[in-house]
Amino acid sequence: MDVDIKGKMTFRGGAHPSQNKKLTEDKEILPGPAVKQLAVMLSQHIGAPCKPMVQKGDIVIAGQRIGESDAYVSAAVHSPVNGTVKEIALRSHPIQGRSLAIIIDVDTKAEINTPKKPALLSIKDFDADKYTSEQICNAISKAGLVGMGGAGFPTRVKLDPNPKQPKTSLIVNGCECEPYITCDYRMMVERADQILAGIELAKKASGCLEVFIGIEDNKPKAIEVMTEMLKKTPARQNIKIVPLKTKYPQGGERQLIKAVLGKNVPTGVIPPMIGVVVLNVATSAAIAEAVISNKPLTHRVVTVTGQPIANPGNFYVPIGTSVGDLIEFCGSVTEKSVKVLMGGPMMGIAIADLETPITKTTGAITLLNEEQIGIEKHKGHKTACIHCGRCLDVCPEHLNPTLLAHAVRKNMFDVAEQYYISACMECGCCSYICPANIELTGHIKTGKIYLAREKKRMPK
Amino acid sequence: MLKNITVSCSPHISKNMSTRSIMIDVIIALSPAMLAACYYFHSKAVIILATCIISALVTEWSCNLLQKRPNSLGDFSAVVTAIILALSLPPAFPFWAAIIGSVFAIGIGKMVFGGLGANIFNPAMVARAFLTASFGALMTTFTVPASIDQAMPQMSAANTTAITQATPLAWSKQAVKKQCDTTTVNDQLKASITGNIGGCLGETSVIALVIGGIYLLIKKTIDYLIPLSVMVSAALFALIFYWIDPQMYMSPIMHLTTGGMLLCAFFIATDPVTAPLTKKGKIIFGVGVGAMIMLVRTLGEYPEGVMYAILLMNAISPLIDRMCKRIPRGGKAPCQK
Repeated sequence: MDVDIKGKMTFRGGAHPSQNKKLTEDKEILPGPAVKQLAVMLSQHIGAPCKPMVQKGDIVIAGQRIGESDAYVSAAVHSPVNGTVKEIALRSHPIQGRSLAIIIDVDTKAEINTPKKPALLSIKDFDADKYTSEQICNAISKAGLVGMGGAGFPTRVKLDPNPKQPKTSLIVNGCECEPYITCDYRMMVERADQILAGIELAKKASGCLEVFIGIEDNKPKAIEVMTEMLKKTPARQNIKIVPLKTKYPQGGERQLIKAVLGKNVPTGVIPPMIGVVVLNVATSAAIAEAVISNKPLTHRVVTVTGQPIANPGNFYVPIGTSVGDLIEFCGSVTEKSVKVLMGGPMMGIAIADLETPITKTTGAITLLNEEQIGIEKHKGHKTACIHCGRCLDVCPEHLNPTLLAHAVRKNMFDVAEQYYISACMECGCCSYICPANIELTGHIKTGKIYLAREKKRMPK
Repeated sequence: MLKNITVSCSPHISKNMSTRSIMIDVIIALSPAMLAACYYFHSKAVIILATCIISALVTEWSCNLLQKRPNSLGDFSAVVTAIILALSLPPAFPFWAAIIGSVFAIGIGKMVFGGLGANIFNPAMVARAFLTASFGALMTTFTVPASIDQAMPQMSAANTTAITQATPLAWSKQAVKKQCDTTTVNDQLKASITGNIGGCLGETSVIALVIGGIYLLIKKTIDYLIPLSVMVSAALFALIFYWIDPQMYMSPIMHLTTGGMLLCAFFIATDPVTAPLTKKGKIIFGVGVGAMIMLVRTLGEYPEGVMYAILLMNAISPLIDRMCKRIPRGGKAPCQK
């Protein structure tokens, strides 16, 4: 069956920040540091936070479930190592400020805890038809899978077949449009087979009819490897690789759907509601692990990169490793002042606490040097808005960022709402392009948070 | 371990572009026109340009001091305003009046509104309007370039001393009134392309203005929509009149190449502060400016209409923006339908 690509391989708007992927794109995925302590966050996803299932002093083994929730939109957490629960305490969370985490003292003697490369999944006699949709969904739910691209939406919820809204298209997101990050790229180059097995399982689980793999055309090697892999198995002929135009934010869910399927996702609607499932490549690989070898999501690949890092690379680390440990592992940082980002420079969150643990959604740790922080550079160049309209041109959601930011600054939240502030996905293109160096995204984020709080306070 | 960790809102990188770099681009783009002015009008052009720029900078500096604002000379927007004002003044304009105009442009046109980005009207055009109202005679006395030949139609017998001469636009205005023909004016195309013609300092040389405009378009400093829509709408307007009576009205090409049309299309109408934000808005704005210029030129009392067109369209540009509200790609949110 040949599938037509209805999209134009790109979307309107967007920016072209310098890629800086050269730092790590040829670095093989390596084992991470041997850590003494892990902090596994109880809330690493969108939805209800987990309740701890262990107590202080309990002995846990690798893969044991240590937190779960009864809520439908949630994902369980598992211990990545053998060890003892030291305490259940608050830790810095990149998004939620402070949040509960299970602190585990790692048993350094146990052989299972020594850092190693991700085990190769044996998928020689793999057949997706062996599993039923329900089996796959349950395995995914048991493994605590969430979208590993950044948002952390529970995968089970995405895939669950809904008789009212049958799913038609599965899009696998291999764009990785964010500068610096290369973890998904390395996964595609090194683990293409596993990713494809996961895709087949996801297709089976969701009942999607067509499958697309969207990869930006600045990753020719990934496209090549994936295409080769596809050719090997006749059963995968209906999976189509779509080379997309390199542009930020091509990997945004809505932009990806526009580029591949050629349709706009209505405002305020998530893709599963229109029958489209978007999965990250890392999530697909995790699906294969979860279903075939019953392995819960306890490790992930993290890119540690940036000019101040001496030995940047892609590392396979247990979830809960602290950012400080990872940075130390990659060599001493000589810069006087730096910015530590969880994620890439466009949407990543600057953290102040190096104890902050890696979560299921952390794809990269990016360090920026003094020059890139640009404190001095920006001081002289910050002016009032000159209404040039560049932010309007780059906005992938076709909004009016300067007006929204102005409205928020002047406390005119009703105006901000009239101009669809809620449709903003905070990609950061407007701040990136702004010649007056106004933090438009920051103002809009503030406005969205304020409006969300207002709504909570005054239910209709 | 790491010390001195900076925390801020994402995104953490930004494009290497600033308000200053945009203004410097505009100044670079205006330099061919400035050079042409200096070439044709010699010291007169140099004096007007220099006095305008210096007095604009001094005004901005002292306004900042009075209003207790941080120094904003570094963004170079005052220089751009001063150059545009200077280029739209007649060559024989006395330097003291140019100083008054420049002070008015920055002080009343920009700083009282709150500085860069807050002004409603284009400061240079506000000052030009003020000067036209105050020194009407001086503003319409056009000295000929030093090297002009005498083939140019003379506006009246009183001007036979050849110190001043009618601009093509003024001549065509006379032609309308006196029912004589404009073919002589239409023959001046060659002269107006190089700039060897009567007119304001920076408005005469088509080549210089087009070079500057193309530079801005290549550098993407300005949106192509505004210049394009200004010129297309003006040309269409002129074409209709020319088609009705080619004896009485100037040809569209002549209209585009004379007066402030090109300076307006590339440098004045594209002033980001006073033009609409949205693409649709920019087109409406450009079409409005073009049509308004032609309305004044063909039917109005004055020979040139750039200033009025810009000021009028500036006044309604916030309304245009409100009219052209952007709808998100995914359509209106369900609760907002």
